[in-house]
Amino acid sequence: MSEDKKEQKKEPFEPKIVGFLCNWCSYAGADLAGTSRIQYPPNIRIIRVMCSGSVDSMYILRALLEGADGVFVGGCHPGDCHYIDGNYKARRRMVLLQNILETLRLEKERVWLRWISASEGQKFADTMNEMTAAIKKLGPNPMAKHWDL
Amino acid sequence: MVQKMLKVKDGDVSGAINDFLRQLLSSQKLQALIVPQAMPSQKTTFPVLVSDPHMLHAAPLAPLLAASTAALVSRMTKVQAAPHPIGVVMRSCEIRALLELVKLNQAKLENIVIIGIDCLGTFPLNTYVEFPEKQKPTEYLLEQWKKNPDALDKYLRSACRVCKDPIPTNADIVLGLYGTDIEKQIIVEAYSDVGKQLVEHVKLEEGKDSKERQKALQQVREDKTKKRQQFLKEKAGIKGIEKLAEFFDRCVNCHNCRQACPVCYCKECLFDSSVFDAEAYKFLRRAEMKGMLKMPTDALLFHVGRMNHMILSCVQCGLCEQACPNTIPLMDVFIPVAEQAQKEFSYTPGKDKDEKIPLIVYKEDEFLEVGEK
Repeated sequence: MSEDKKEQKKEPFEPKIVGFLCNWCSYAGADLAGTSRIQYPPNIRIIRVMCSGSVDSMYILRALLEGADGVFVGGCHPGDCHYIDGNYKARRRMVLLQNILETLRLEKERVWLRWISASEGQKFADTMNEMTAAIKKLGPNPMAKHWDL
Repeated sequence: MVQKMLKVKDGDVSGAINDFLRQLLSSQKLQALIVPQAMPSQKTTFPVLVSDPHMLHAAPLAPLLAASTAALVSRMTKVQAAPHPIGVVMRSCEIRALLELVKLNQAKLENIVIIGIDCLGTFPLNTYVEFPEKQKPTEYLLEQWKKNPDALDKYLRSACRVCKDPIPTNADIVLGLYGTDIEKQIIVEAYSDVGKQLVEHVKLEEGKDSKERQKALQQVREDKTKKRQQFLKEKAGIKGIEKLAEFFDRCVNCHNCRQACPVCYCKECLFDSSVFDAEAYKFLRRAEMKGMLKMPTDALLFHVGRMNHMILSCVQCGLCEQACPNTIPLMDVFIPVAEQAQKEFSYTPGKDKDEKIPLIVYKEDEFLEVGEK
């Protein structure tokens, strides 16, 4: 059994991406991609949140320390936030988070913040293609092997 | 600003400051004072809330910061502002922390009279209690400070060694020690109207020349900046997962650092919440992912999480480091990250109480490289 597992690990690297999508825009955009039957890589595991501004950087750090290869945060376009300014605040948090990532020497390209509206199913699929390819290039998250954190 | 002089008799600096405070308290303009005072054991000093002038025996110069008065003022004024004026003797880092708490709606400044005192630095609590020199810590501090201030570095807490600014700002009254022969006189500066009215009630002499003080302040600030830059250079290497895991490997998840932080204020910390009380199967899943899991879990997550929550308001008082039972030199990691993150937002915590915390404000056209390209 364990031998089989080892064999499986030699397969090409498929990144695990955790996605936090806002209820009003990006989640609906992802939904539209699905209902429109637009193909995109299955690497993202989507978690619906009410607003990109509600994503505490702690969630992102926890995902990364647990070994997620990438984290995607999707919000409404600037000016379109259902809660007026949550996405602007999410952007400031992202800047702060990048400082922490730098301390961990983790590539900031592992965490993406993008604006995707409810009508942009195609854009969601394109972004997933782009992000999966980018993370594949970066390789696995080194935290995935650290059991000592 | 009004500058006056407080005469010191027979070189008794502490006595003169006590005299000053006692006169303030007797003037009836202040209901009480919060000031560090030696405990009956004489081993430590803690802040006391004193209303009886006869019981006031302050130890304002004792090189010990056992607890931040900022957190105490927050506790007293979070719900309701102080009903009567309370004078609080504070070091610069305590004032900075208090201002951050005010911005976070965790303290109210009404009726709080801040009496800042030039800080000569503080020793770790354990060093203070078991001081290895023949003299008492305060005597040693004053003597070395006059003779050769650099010699104090071996005992100072690292936060004090590389202090951002040991001179109080945003105080109503400042007791100045730099730029004067403290065995003869102490400088008293009154900044606010309240401060100016209060010093009227104390027997003081007119101040003459502040040039000497300005020069001394510039000197000490330059000195600290130099040491700070050296410190930042030395600690720049503590980055990356391997180094950080090693840095925190003595952490026993006691969360004392969070407890000691004057600015950290959440009623229920995420790390004490049920988020981390997972069922066995979840731990097993996590163990399976990495093959093995260090227990107790999430020590590093706690530290980077705390960093993420506090770093923009970090006033670099170093109380987290002092609270660590396993002497993890937390400032080695926190100061460099704080410097960098605060610079990114052009924010200096504790500088201006009307400035907003960076994470609650925004501009539409900023940080455009983050988010959409």
